[in-house]
Amino acid sequence: MKCQEEIVVYMHEYLDDEISAEQEKELREHLQQCPDCQTHFHELKRTIALVQSSSHIQAPSDFTASVMARLPKEKKKVGMQR
Amino acid sequence: METIVKKRIKQVIKGDQDAYAEVVEMYKDKVFHVCFRMLGNRHEAEDIAQEAFLRAYVNITSFNIELKFSTWLYRIATNLCIDRIRKKKPDYYLDAEVAGTDGLNMYSQIASDSRLPEEEVQSLELQETIQREISKLPEKYRSVIVLKYIEELSLNEISEILNLPLGTVKTRIHRGREALRNQLRYL
Repeated sequence: MKCQEEIVVYMHEYLDDEISAEQEKELREHLQQCPDCQTHFHELKRTIALVQSSSHIQAPSDFTASVMARLPKEKKKVGMQR
Repeated sequence: METIVKKRIKQVIKGDQDAYAEVVEMYKDKVFHVCFRMLGNRHEAEDIAQEAFLRAYVNITSFNIELKFSTWLYRIATNLCIDRIRKKKPDYYLDAEVAGTDGLNMYSQIASDSRLPEEEVQSLELQETIQREISKLPEKYRSVIVLKYIEELSLNEISEILNLPLGTVKTRIHRGREALRNQLRYL
């Protein structure tokens, strides 16, 4: 059975948008008749959705000021002379 | 964004330090986010993200203005994160994989940092669980997963940022996805 190994590779190629039309057809046909692979594929897609659902985080409000305060001093003068 | 940032970088190179504040403003959230997802806690993420901007500033003349600034900046930030993760290893054995458990390590034993009050509003148990599971991934898988799914970068860009062949990036994404699938399937 080419189940698992090759089919799982196809699943990942599909997820990376790198699958050929022919292999995609093969993947679809296989998924229709193999519940195990169907579950596997579903879990992969769900994993991605979960990871992508993680909320966006913002840098602390004083972040830029802190970075600017840490920059080497000598260059600062040049900037301020203008 | 790239055009504006290049203009600002040219000003910085000429000695206008204030122009750099705008560069930091443009990228601070993205860089902080990558660091947070890589390191799993805010305090370290802030520390490393600041360090990344500092290094970018000090080395700004070595940036090839023809290339994408964000790629270069992400490279600095992810390298710093990877260094930090590796440095933790000997002290706490955090990254040590438990024998026979592909991708599982001691990160699972450590509770995430206590959260700031303003964050508690948006804090969901699920979010914490997902972050904890991302933190359990070995660093080589974690970096590609964070760049692909959190920052939504292309495989080519990830390969440039991490300085890895495209094939290696693909393999790591596949393995990282499988590891995460195993970790998240019972959620």
